[in-house]
Amino acid sequence: MPDNAFLSDEPVLRFDRVGLTYGPGADILADASLTLRPGSMTFLTGPSGAGKSTLLKLAFLALRPTAGRISLFGLDTGRLKPDALASLRRRIGVVFQEFRLLDHLSAYENVALPLRVMGRPEASYRKDVTELLSWVGLGDRLDARPETLSGGEKQRVAIARAVVVKPDLIIADEPTGNVDEEMSERLFRLFRELNKRLNTTVLIATHDMAMVRRANADVLRLADGMVVRAQAQPALQQDTPA
Amino acid sequence: MSRHLAPLLPKEDAREAALFFVVCALCFLAAFSGLVSRAAYAAAGAWTSEVTGQLTVRVRGDAADTERALAIVQATPGIASARALDRADAEELLQPWLGAGGIPADLPLPHLIAAEAAPGATGVGDRLTAALQQAELKTTVDDHVVWSADARRATDTIGLIALSAVALLGATGIAVIAFATHATLLARKDIVELLHLTGARNSFIAGLFERRFLMLGVQAGTLGALFAFGAAAFILFAVRQGDAQAWLLPQLSLSLADGLILGLSPLIAGAVSMLAAKVTVMRSLSDMV
Repeated sequence: MPDNAFLSDEPVLRFDRVGLTYGPGADILADASLTLRPGSMTFLTGPSGAGKSTLLKLAFLALRPTAGRISLFGLDTGRLKPDALASLRRRIGVVFQEFRLLDHLSAYENVALPLRVMGRPEASYRKDVTELLSWVGLGDRLDARPETLSGGEKQRVAIARAVVVKPDLIIADEPTGNVDEEMSERLFRLFRELNKRLNTTVLIATHDMAMVRRANADVLRLADGMVVRAQAQPALQQDTPA
Repeated sequence: MSRHLAPLLPKEDAREAALFFVVCALCFLAAFSGLVSRAAYAAAGAWTSEVTGQLTVRVRGDAADTERALAIVQATPGIASARALDRADAEELLQPWLGAGGIPADLPLPHLIAAEAAPGATGVGDRLTAALQQAELKTTVDDHVVWSADARRATDTIGLIALSAVALLGATGIAVIAFATHATLLARKDIVELLHLTGARNSFIAGLFERRFLMLGVQAGTLGALFAFGAAAFILFAVRQGDAQAWLLPQLSLSLADGLILGLSPLIAGAVSMLAAKVTVMRSLSDMV
């Protein structure tokens, strides 16, 4: 099936009673269900250890559920072959909590990684990558290696890498955890801009309740392995930081 | 103008240096064993061809009997040439044991006839024995069959041992290269995972590692083969400078077959490394979603 073959009213991401258990231990997720519509912006909140990162890993296909069904762009991911899954992953931009930058590549090369994987020639994306890095405040650090970047700079490189292909779905795990308030606001505007202008669906796991309140977006709360819908309003309690 | 992009896999690290050394050493041993094995077979062929076709007839009688025996030998089908050895020949033969001072005049010497069988002739020794017996001459025919058979058996055994060593080294090499490649790749699992999650197809990821380890195997194998060539050339030089006959060695040389052994070693090392990389990466990817 071609990459863009999904209907506009089809949920971008759907969890149907998804469960995940490691070995004989307790459930990490139990009976979690959620639906993300195209063009929606959703925050995932919950206490530390509630399984937010695990839920995101399931969403960006880093883990297989032990129960239930996950659909992406209308396709049941449990029935897809590796090449089809790779095509789905190219439509998802992921901001990993631990950044996962490649140490031997420069900031520019790390951001360009998804484009290289797609087989795009360097000349075709040079301007976009350079502009994007400038936009996140790293225009003068194009050739810097991750080991020379601060935590916040690494995070911005990771975010630039996630959005560089203008994906249909952005999944971000604590994307503003290591940046100051001003940069946090700026990054949020980047997500919002992609969401509004390109109709990109955005799912962000965060403890940053200020950002959640500013966004006036859908809020899902994960507790006891289950997802419950909440509302973004000032009355929401601040979650315990990770 | 395009920016120069760093390869998606880091160029090399200490683990790859260790793998390079292992592949290089194994290729050296395998190629060198291959050369020794081929030399052993060549030596076996040279030794046996030197003695095959040579016959010696010892006549227990006087000069007249020797003359009669020589005539019979020369007339026997399959004999290309024959001549009676005179006293000077006998002295030369006995010199290593009796010294250069000469042989006492009264020392009885055997009457010998040296004959050479025509190329491809068979059963000459038996025919000669029968003809001499029919002429009622007291003779002993030595066609060196027993000696050459012993020599062939000995050299065959040496060749077999060398071949076994090559096979053992080859199998060990394949296993070690596969193991070392696997270990090196495990250290790169983070890159494999990231590429996977970024949407790289399995063939794309495997291809990166295959190309890297093919080059590593070929380069390390080439260096190992060059060392083997150097060692073989040194031994060849030493043998030629020394007394080859004293070592019972025939004239040795590097042949096309040796070139084939040296040329194939790096290719096999490269192919094994590449295959090991592919299997490891694909197995690692199959564990992922």
